[in-house]
Amino acid sequence: MDETNVNAVQDDLTGRYLTFDIDDTTYSLPLNHVIEIIGIQHITHIPNVPHYIKGIINLRGKIVPISDVRLKFGLEERDYDDKTCIVIVLINDMNVGVIVDRVAEVVSLERSNMAPPPLSDKRLGDSFLDSISTLNEKVVMNIDVVKFFQADMAELLAPEE
Amino acid sequence: MSAIDPGMEALLETFIYESNTMLEQLDEILLESERAQNINQENIDSIFRIMHTVKGSSAMMGFSAISGLGHAVEDVFFILREDANKLGPVFSSLFDLVFQSSDFLKREIERVSDPNYEEGDPSDMVRQLHGLAAVMKGEAPPPAAPAAAGAEAPAAGPSYEGFRRIRIHFEDECQMENMRAFMILNQLANCCDEIDSVPPHPESDATLCADIIRNGFLIICKPTDNLDDVIKIIESSLNIKSYELLSEDDDGSPPAAEATDAQAPAPAGEGAAALPAAGAVQAAAKAPAAAAAAGGSGARQNLISVNQIKLDALMDLVGEIVTAESMVASNPDLRGLKLDNFTKSTRELRKLTDELQDVVMSIRMVPLTGTFQKMNRIVRDMTKSLGKKVDLVTYGGDTEVDKTINDTIGDPFMHMIRNSIDHAIEPPEVRMSLGKPETGQVTINARNAGGEILIDVSDDGSGLDVDRILAKARNNGMLTKPESEYTDKEIFNLIMLPGFSTNTEVTEYSGRGVGMDVVKKNLEKVGGAVSISSEKNKGTTFTIKIPLTLAIVDGMNISVGDTTFTLPITSIKQSFKITDPKQVLHDTDGAEMILLRGDCYPVVRLHEHFMISTEKTDVMDGIMIQVESGNSIACLFADELLGEYQVVVKPFPSFFNKYNLKELGLSGCSILGDGSICLILDANSLVSNL
Repeated sequence: MDETNVNAVQDDLTGRYLTFDIDDTTYSLPLNHVIEIIGIQHITHIPNVPHYIKGIINLRGKIVPISDVRLKFGLEERDYDDKTCIVIVLINDMNVGVIVDRVAEVVSLERSNMAPPPLSDKRLGDSFLDSISTLNEKVVMNIDVVKFFQADMAELLAPEE
Repeated sequence: MSAIDPGMEALLETFIYESNTMLEQLDEILLESERAQNINQENIDSIFRIMHTVKGSSAMMGFSAISGLGHAVEDVFFILREDANKLGPVFSSLFDLVFQSSDFLKREIERVSDPNYEEGDPSDMVRQLHGLAAVMKGEAPPPAAPAAAGAEAPAAGPSYEGFRRIRIHFEDECQMENMRAFMILNQLANCCDEIDSVPPHPESDATLCADIIRNGFLIICKPTDNLDDVIKIIESSLNIKSYELLSEDDDGSPPAAEATDAQAPAPAGEGAAALPAAGAVQAAAKAPAAAAAAGGSGARQNLISVNQIKLDALMDLVGEIVTAESMVASNPDLRGLKLDNFTKSTRELRKLTDELQDVVMSIRMVPLTGTFQKMNRIVRDMTKSLGKKVDLVTYGGDTEVDKTINDTIGDPFMHMIRNSIDHAIEPPEVRMSLGKPETGQVTINARNAGGEILIDVSDDGSGLDVDRILAKARNNGMLTKPESEYTDKEIFNLIMLPGFSTNTEVTEYSGRGVGMDVVKKNLEKVGGAVSISSEKNKGTTFTIKIPLTLAIVDGMNISVGDTTFTLPITSIKQSFKITDPKQVLHDTDGAEMILLRGDCYPVVRLHEHFMISTEKTDVMDGIMIQVESGNSIACLFADELLGEYQVVVKPFPSFFNKYNLKELGLSGCSILGDGSICLILDANSLVSNL
């Protein structure tokens, strides 16, 4: 019974994407991975981690790691402004926040309109892209959340020690 | 069966808990009896009772491997109960077998909650037990005992003289009809000379439920005194809708009694107590089953068992409240306001949250006795197979530690005791020739010391051989400085390095070189530390230091740049300002040291260590904090002290697992009253990394 419920919710969200901008490019995250969007807040720096991991925040008593999409994509760091948002994403039962320049909107994208990404795009490192769509004449890069965190999460899948 | 009946899932926890408790009790009795080389009537009864209950409840859960083996052990002890003298010739083989069985049962019970649980095969042990039983019974086994019925099914003949037949119907949907029937049968065994039922052995097969529901449960018995006793027991049993006496061939044929025994008003415990001459067996067998069936424990019990997940949740919640409380009390909106009444109320609130915290902590505390008792078993097995004589003496088993800690230290203890017996304690002949008592001694001594627990594990064995350890470390390339510079203490610590094992031969129990390494790792996981002292031919003592609790730490908050760190108060020795830059010395590598009362300590600049930018880089501007961990002392340099706080330790999200923050000197993080996050420093790894 629970299963069908979950499925129903997921069905509702599949095909729905949250789009956000970084510089002039529009990216999207599948909505069923998005928990919430919060404004930028003080991030506690953690030493000895890659520069794109900005640190941790306190999200209502929960410690949530924050990673900066710009830096992860190898783009230049940019001062945070009032448009800067943290998108809290759920992956592997874990909340992770990603910093984006600006959240745009929630859109429906048809699977049939998605083109596979070019095989390797050096600028994006190991491609994080699931596919590329067009929406109102604009190109939307659909991010594959699992691929996006692959490098950070690989350790979690391997056994301890 | 591979999956558990969904209706049973709720009972599973109770089953596992109860069975484990009883099996531990069983081990204890066995050890005690084996040591005394004798078993008294009381212990035979207890073992019988334990196996009986385990059998009954596992059959109820549908675990036939467990119940089958339980049954076999029960059979053996049933014979002993009748005549304890039969034990003599089979004493040691019986004990070994029962120990094996107990291990098997424990293993199975550990696994039953696994959704892919496949039952193990106890048939070998069952066969051996039956063999033993046959030996004990002598060449001509006496007629099958009623309670040991499982093995030899008595031919049910309903037409014996003096037999009465009673048909029982259980309440609709009372569930587990077969077990209920079995319970009644058991109780009746007390007041009947002979007893049988249709279907026979209802406990053996859960599918009989349907049959019992449809046809009722027929009891055929021959009352010892009169039928009234039997009727009384049936009437006092739970969940019986009706019963009838089937008159057939006999005298005054009492009218078929149709009694509607509505919900027995007595609580489960009382039902058992009301039995005439309630044999311990019945009481024990009935109580757990009834408790499980009723989904609660006995009415007069003051103890309840709680799922640990709930306790963890409670603990988290208290942590949140402590944080929220300081958020309110030191809210920035209140700054500069004079609020007498508010301050008074917050002080009251503070007092209550402190109390709440103490109570929750105390709930989580468990005595070490259980862990110690498990060690008895290890000592017993090892001495037997290694041919050594060792006594385990424990002190301070009533010392209490947090449940999580208690669970973590079991393995380290086991390793240490194994090491002691395997490596340290000499064989009896050698001991005699050294003028030591033939029987070696391993002592565990636990005591409270401030916010910590100290546990000594000592033996009176050969002591650590400094030369051999050095040689071994040399061979394994573990030495980091010239041998002559090693102090004894440092040499002892070498044995806790990964991959070090002094025993040249790998034995069944130790010697794979993982032992002490694991000990150290496990203890560090809960914030503990080990130190070793040893004297040749006198023995070795491992002293373990573990914190009382994990969750809430009294800490000193210090700032470095815009990062706040919390340093546990227990590791701080003192803090001071440097007044003269000459106090700080540099060694040839340029590493900083500080001279304090004639002793030199290394300096760790936190801003450099954690690569944080701060303006206070001159030693004169900031503050020095002298910290101690284990045997080493160092001074940390920070910007300033922010004051003392109680912080709730939260682990870093698993996202950071790969970055080894722990080794860097961070043990976790915490949320401060103003909602900001501080990082908790681990003096232990900060200092040991120098």
